[in-house]
Amino acid sequence: MRTRAVLGSIFASLGVLVIGWQAGNAAVMSATTATSTTTPTTTTSGGNSGTSSSGTSSGSNTTTSSGTTTAAPVAPTTGATDGTYAGSTVNTRFGPVQVQVTIAGGAITDVTALQLTNTDGRSVQISNYASPILAQEVLSSQSAQVSNVGGATYTSQAYLQSLQSALDQAGF
Amino acid sequence: MRHTFETMGTVVSLEGVDDRTVEKVKSIFAAADSRFSLYRPESELARIASGELAMMDSSVELRTAYADALAWSSLTSGAFSPNRPDGVVDLNGIVKAQAMQSAGGLIDSGGWREWSLNVGGDILIAGSTVQTTGIVDPFDRAKLLCAIELRPPRAAVATSGSAERGDHIWLGGSTGPAEYVQVTVVAGDIVTADVLATAIVAGGRSGLDEITERWDVDVLAVDRTGAMVATPGIRESLAA
Repeated sequence: MRTRAVLGSIFASLGVLVIGWQAGNAAVMSATTATSTTTPTTTTSGGNSGTSSSGTSSGSNTTTSSGTTTAAPVAPTTGATDGTYAGSTVNTRFGPVQVQVTIAGGAITDVTALQLTNTDGRSVQISNYASPILAQEVLSSQSAQVSNVGGATYTSQAYLQSLQSALDQAGF
Repeated sequence: MRHTFETMGTVVSLEGVDDRTVEKVKSIFAAADSRFSLYRPESELARIASGELAMMDSSVELRTAYADALAWSSLTSGAFSPNRPDGVVDLNGIVKAQAMQSAGGLIDSGGWREWSLNVGGDILIAGSTVQTTGIVDPFDRAKLLCAIELRPPRAAVATSGSAERGDHIWLGGSTGPAEYVQVTVVAGDIVTADVLATAIVAGGRSGLDEITERWDVDVLAVDRTGAMVATPGIRESLAA
C-alpha cells in the first residue's frame, strides 16, 4: 500500500519532468537545477505541482518494477542536453516528492528519488530507502563464486539439503 | 579448512581458525544452548517458562540477555520481542547472535585475522578481503537468490523469514501472513543484523522504512510474490 503510494508519487513527479522535457517546455527544466544527490530538507511547493499529483498514484503501479531501477533507457523524441536534473518538488496527497533524472546520449539513463514521504507523512531518508529492484539485476550476481551461504535460519536437518552443506563438504 | 558442528538446533560452519579455537567456540554455543534452549526442559529458560524458576532468581547472564532483548523491543517499537503471545519468554531471537558475537571476540583475541562464522545461515566475518556470500532463494532453497560482497566493517549478515521455522517470528499484534517471506540485513554487527531482520519481517513495509531510516544497515526483502526491494547498499554490493 505504502509502496504503491510512494511509487505512484515518484511517477507523478517523473511524469512532470518527462512531459516537460518532451515538449521542450523550458518552464519545467528551468525550475530544475543540476545537482548532486543532496536530500532537500524542506517541503517546497511548486506552482505546477498540484495538477500532476492527484490522479497518478493509483494507476502507475503496474510499471513499478521497471521504472525505478536504473539504466532503463527511454527513447527520446527530441534532443536533450546530457546532464543530471533535479525536478521541482511535487506535493502529492502522500507528501512532497522530488526525483532526479540523468540524461545521457539523449536518453534517460537513471531516475532517482530525492525526496519521498511515507503515508504517515514523515519524510523518508532517501539515502537508504529500500526501493524495488529488478529480479534480473539481482539474479545476475548468482553466478559469482560464493564462500558462504546465508538464509533464513536453517535447522540441522535442513542444513543437509543446503548449499552451505555442499560448500562445507567441499572444504571450500 | 572448514569446521562444522551442530549446536542450538542448527549447524555452525567456521573457517579460518585452528582446532583449539573451534573447541572454544563450541563451548560458547554449548553454554548458550544449555542456558537458553526452550526445547531442553532442564535449561534455565525452560525452567522459567514452566514456572519452576522465577526471573528474579535467574542468573546474571539470563537477565542480561532478557534486558538486551527488551531494549531491542523498545527500539523496534515492539516489532522484535522476547515475550511470546503465550507469556513465555523466548530469547531465541537474540541469544544465537549474541553467542556469535562472543565467538567473534574470542576468535579475534586469539589473533585470527581472516575468518568466517556461519550459524544457521547468519554470517559474521573478519578480514581485509571481500567475502562473497550467497543468499538463498526463499522459494527454492537449493538455489541462490543472489550473491553479495561482505566487506568489514560491514561484517555481518542475517536473514529472517518464514521460509523455514515459519513460527519463530511473531507478527506483533497482527495475525495475517508476513508481508516479506525473507529479509536479509547487512550490518556492522551480527546482533543488530539479526534483530532487525526479524523486526522487518514482523513490521512489514512500515517497519522496513523505519529501520532503514534509523539504522545504518542494508536490507534486501522478498515479498510473497517474489518481488524484491533493496537499499542502495545492497545494489552496490551485488557480486559481479
